[in-house]
Amino acid sequence: MSYIKVEKVYKRFIRRGQQTEALRDINLELEQGTFVSLIGPSGCGKSTLLRIIGGLTDSSEGIVSVGGQTPQQAQSDKQFGFVPQAAALFPWRTVLQNMNLPFEVNKKAGAALTSEREDPVELLKSVGLGDFVHAYAKELSGGMQQRVGIARAFGSGAPILLMDEPFSALDEITREMLSYQLLDIWETHKKTVIFVTHSLREAVLLSDKVVVMSSRPGRISQVIDIDLPRPRRAEMEDTEEFHHYISLVRGQLRERWG
Amino acid sequence: MGESILKNANETGPEVQAVLAVRKEGVSGREASRNLGPSGVQRLKNWLANSAVMPPLLAFAGLFILWELLVRVLGIEAITLPAPSSVLKELATSFVFYLPHAWVTLYEAVIGFLLGTLVAFIGGVLMAHSRLLERTLLPIAVLANVTPVVAIAPLFIIWFGFGALPKILISAIITFFPMLVNSIMGFRSVDENNHEYMRSLHASKWEIFMKLRLPNSLPYLFSAARTCVSLSVIGAVVGEWSGSTQGLGNIVMMASNYMQMQRMFAAILMLAIMGIALVNIVRFIERRVLSWHVSEQKQG
Ligand SMILES: Nc1ncnc2c1ncn2[C@@H]1O[C@H](COP(=O)(O)OP(=O)(O)OP(=O)(O)O)[C@@H](O)[C@H]1O
Ligand SMILES: [Mg+2]
Repeated sequence: MSYIKVEKVYKRFIRRGQQTEALRDINLELEQGTFVSLIGPSGCGKSTLLRIIGGLTDSSEGIVSVGGQTPQQAQSDKQFGFVPQAAALFPWRTVLQNMNLPFEVNKKAGAALTSEREDPVELLKSVGLGDFVHAYAKELSGGMQQRVGIARAFGSGAPILLMDEPFSALDEITREMLSYQLLDIWETHKKTVIFVTHSLREAVLLSDKVVVMSSRPGRISQVIDIDLPRPRRAEMEDTEEFHHYISLVRGQLRERWG
Repeated sequence: MGESILKNANETGPEVQAVLAVRKEGVSGREASRNLGPSGVQRLKNWLANSAVMPPLLAFAGLFILWELLVRVLGIEAITLPAPSSVLKELATSFVFYLPHAWVTLYEAVIGFLLGTLVAFIGGVLMAHSRLLERTLLPIAVLANVTPVVAIAPLFIIWFGFGALPKILISAIITFFPMLVNSIMGFRSVDENNHEYMRSLHASKWEIFMKLRLPNSLPYLFSAARTCVSLSVIGAVVGEWSGSTQGLGNIVMMASNYMQMQRMFAAILMLAIMGIALVNIVRFIERRVLSWHVSEQKQG
């Protein structure tokens, strides 16, 4: 049995009497401890799918199960570490206090968490923020805030991390650096990650599986397994295999435009 | 041995540096006075900019001097506009007379402020969580706000007598609305990402309120409190005008009847000082509580 299972999921929005089909017949099976990317044109329903899996919104039709539970049950057991596009740090809290936020709410769910609580300072050090533990969130740059958001998700004890374009607001160089930091931290923790991105490079570099989506209506056009060896390092980006996967995903995305 | 010498050198290091720094300062100070011109002006500017009290104090002193000069040069009679020196003299000689009245007004204003803002805060919490409640209750609050308090005040005197109660209520009414509107705004205007993050942790409504909405609203609440605290003094004075036996507003009214200009101005001056003091108390607390907030950091 797969860890996360999405079966025949549909999502329709009704706005001013007009119905949009955001998702049509989504079927997906994800194994525990794998890194999965969702990629596709803007508006194809990536965020909507992520939010349905995370129990933040309901599907119109279909079944989603997360470790045998409904998304809402899993959410109330604090199974999700959510990293939205903007880092979602509270400006009146220091970096460390923001790291502790997941442990301050919904406390009864603590028992359901799989991993031991990690030292937040060590986690911050691992993403290069050891000197900013007591800085206010506002005093950090956008990239640094995202790193806090990622470190927080990994340190929250949640087994499943949902990341919705966490790097999209950042410049190219920062993105590249952060994708390696994410790779590092993931390889030491091996959590299940669903990662929404617009970047082919990120999708191939990070993932075990790339889910290519197309729009209008939003559906899955192909699921591509990335059989590149791990641990993955920067040199890998120059290999033929890597480029092969990039063009495979690109080809799949292009096919749907034409 | 070698180590201890090094240690000693290190210990004297900062002191030597401090001495050097003082010397440098001294030199640049002398240079500035020698050169005069822009650098002297610049230093004065810097000094003023770095002091919180000096600029307004100087402004007040300037205003008083101008006023005093105007009265003397134009020979304005005390019955029209008394000189500030004579007002201050009146205040100094009869301070014990004014003090109990000031206490009464301060009491009415502060209790009215606390009552009005507390009720507004609770109303804000409820209305921020329910659009239905907002749509039902906010129009009543708006109605109470657009009705001039001056018009309601005599009614309150009839209902509640000449004591402190009607003044407290008028102060409360006048402070209610700004706090209500700001608190609703503060509770609602949370960042959507942050709200969604709390939801993803399955945080309860109460947790979301305590950890997100309340801290988010603090800048709004303090901004309202600054407005409300000066409004509360106005409320107390309006109440006293409508019917009272004591209070600074009562003194102003009586003095006006008997054309006692010094006394009137002395009471007005005390009211102004009271307002400034109250606003600054709020500011002080605000600075303590909101050290993280940007607008506070900029003021620095
Ligand atoms: N709350 C909503 N109400 C109405 N329509 C919505 C809502 N949320 C999403 N949609 C619609 O659903 C579709 C998919 O939106 P979604 O945000 O999931 O796309 P996306 O793939 O994440 O896009 P992007 O890459 O731009 O973030 C869009 O057509 C959008 O207009
Ligand atoms: Mg999206």
